[in-house]
Amino acid sequence: MWYNEDESDTVTFGEFVRLAQAQAANLLDQGMRAGDSVVLVMPQGIPLMAAFAGAVLAGGVPAILAYPNFKVDPVKYASGLAGVAQNLKTRLVLVDEGFPPEFSVHLRVADDAVLLRAGKTSTSVAKTLLRVHADPDPDALAFIQHSAGTTGLQKGVALSHDAVLAQLEHLATALRIDDRDRIYSWLPLYHDMGLIACFMLPLVYHLPIVMQAPVDWVVRPGTMLEVISRHRCTLAWVPNFALQFMARRVRPEDRREYQLSSLRALINCSEPVRATSLDEFQGIYGAYGLYPAALQSSYAMAENVFAVTQSEIGEPPRRLWVDPRRFWSDHVAIPTDAGAEGALCFVSSGRCLPSNRIQVVAADGAALPDGAVGEILIRSDSLFTGYYNRPDLTAQALRDGWYWSGDLGFVVDGELYVVGRKKDLIIVAGKNIHPQDIEAIVSSHPAIHDGRAVAFGLYNPDLGTEDIVVVAEAEHENELSNARAIEAALRNAIVAELDVAPRAVYVKPPRWIVKSTAGKPARSTTREKLIAEQPELQRLNRHEW
Amino acid sequence: MNGDKRAQQVQQIIDYLVREVVGRSEVRISADMPLVSSGLIDSMALVNILLKLEDVTHMRIPAGKVQPKDMDTVDLMFATAQRVGKPRK
Repeated sequence: MWYNEDESDTVTFGEFVRLAQAQAANLLDQGMRAGDSVVLVMPQGIPLMAAFAGAVLAGGVPAILAYPNFKVDPVKYASGLAGVAQNLKTRLVLVDEGFPPEFSVHLRVADDAVLLRAGKTSTSVAKTLLRVHADPDPDALAFIQHSAGTTGLQKGVALSHDAVLAQLEHLATALRIDDRDRIYSWLPLYHDMGLIACFMLPLVYHLPIVMQAPVDWVVRPGTMLEVISRHRCTLAWVPNFALQFMARRVRPEDRREYQLSSLRALINCSEPVRATSLDEFQGIYGAYGLYPAALQSSYAMAENVFAVTQSEIGEPPRRLWVDPRRFWSDHVAIPTDAGAEGALCFVSSGRCLPSNRIQVVAADGAALPDGAVGEILIRSDSLFTGYYNRPDLTAQALRDGWYWSGDLGFVVDGELYVVGRKKDLIIVAGKNIHPQDIEAIVSSHPAIHDGRAVAFGLYNPDLGTEDIVVVAEAEHENELSNARAIEAALRNAIVAELDVAPRAVYVKPPRWIVKSTAGKPARSTTREKLIAEQPELQRLNRHEW
Repeated sequence: MNGDKRAQQVQQIIDYLVREVVGRSEVRISADMPLVSSGLIDSMALVNILLKLEDVTHMRIPAGKVQPKDMDTVDLMFATAQRVGKPRK
């Protein structure tokens, strides 16, 4: 079911198959051959889903690109679109009729590229379907997903039919899917959570799905809980920030009709899972029927099709309190009491899905024991074939059958705890500082907009090590008059908790920080923006490695 | 719509932009001044501006039917509300 506040559109599985077949016939009529990539630039909705399924049915390799909405920056969108389209080198682009003409030029990457207007369907469906590839080669590419990142830097993750079906089977097992399940989603279909968990899974397992557009949810976040209540949905996925967003943004008077007892799993996925976010959401929505065990966690990425781990359904994800000193100095998680002074709380992302394995390794590739923090490597039967048209990046990421995720984490009792990204690690005098930890400290200040803080390292040639630089957004403009005092308070809080002093802390106006397409602060782009704006940082930046 | 009422609504949006979005009282905004494309406001502020526009016009504006160029001036915002907006329930 496609949902918005005024109208909803429902298609049955049979009707959806016919829509997809019509799209398949249309693409074949346009000369698409097996293995051709097909770019889809359409707003989220049933026609997009039918075009995607139709392209797969006809033997094509579809890739969904983000559709512009009113809140995107047109310049950034155009350059991102051009970058992704260029890498795909596609000849066939299916564009919505309402696609703004000013962006169309960025889609035409080959002289013979065909821009098809979505909505046109072939009249010769039955005849054309005789040419449909009903039995594709399992190793052939099924589709291309784009990894999360700032638009221009996204990589096309190429996935085989075999990998996709293996992932769906393992995911269904871990989630204990049955025919009473009903999925809700506002997640974009150009990201793995939206595409795999909320479209491919229900398609293959014949589960009902109620879906709305991401932009409708952002404007009215309460609609997610309203739709779940009304349609008695049982499963949904959200990134961590969405829990806090719904806890803070939905007005109490709008919550009256909520009845969330149907939800058996609301899965926190795609960014590190924060105990405070889970608690804040549960603290409010527990009164509306949400079971504590419904809040689940998962570690997932496009390169593994989707999930690598899933917390145990029916139980809240495990929490582990660790000794902060050992964690910061030795990069090892030593369990301690929840009440111990300064104890750090990590939420587990669960255990590996069937046929998935994890290894945590040191910088030199040596396997690390349980509790030690290192890079997370993944091996499974659902790994990607490679980055589309990028053998160089593929060779870096896929080595000896293992995918080097670039994520940092540790394993305790078979449960994975994700702590951050390797490439963003700040190393101050030999001490590893995860920017996420600084950002969490800064975000907890009442004058700072929650989740809108970025920390990074800058090499200081005078000291021979990195300096920490922090930038955060004020909750309100009027707090900027007090910026100096807030900056001092943030500096003190960082020193007190992490025992390192940042070189500089900047408080900027609301909406200053650059966000990625997934809505998270884009650390590297924000860093460049800050350096450009602060001349005192430029001297340091010239000495970057 | 009566011209006075529209002028009042336009002024309400301009006041909101100056006070809550730009945050500098010395800034002068006219109804036909480009806002996002000129860099005066960040596109991330548009969600709150859309909600404000709904309050001021008493309309519901389906976000999926609005494109970046539809929100670039205050005049365009009102034209968009007129084109795609629906009376509030």
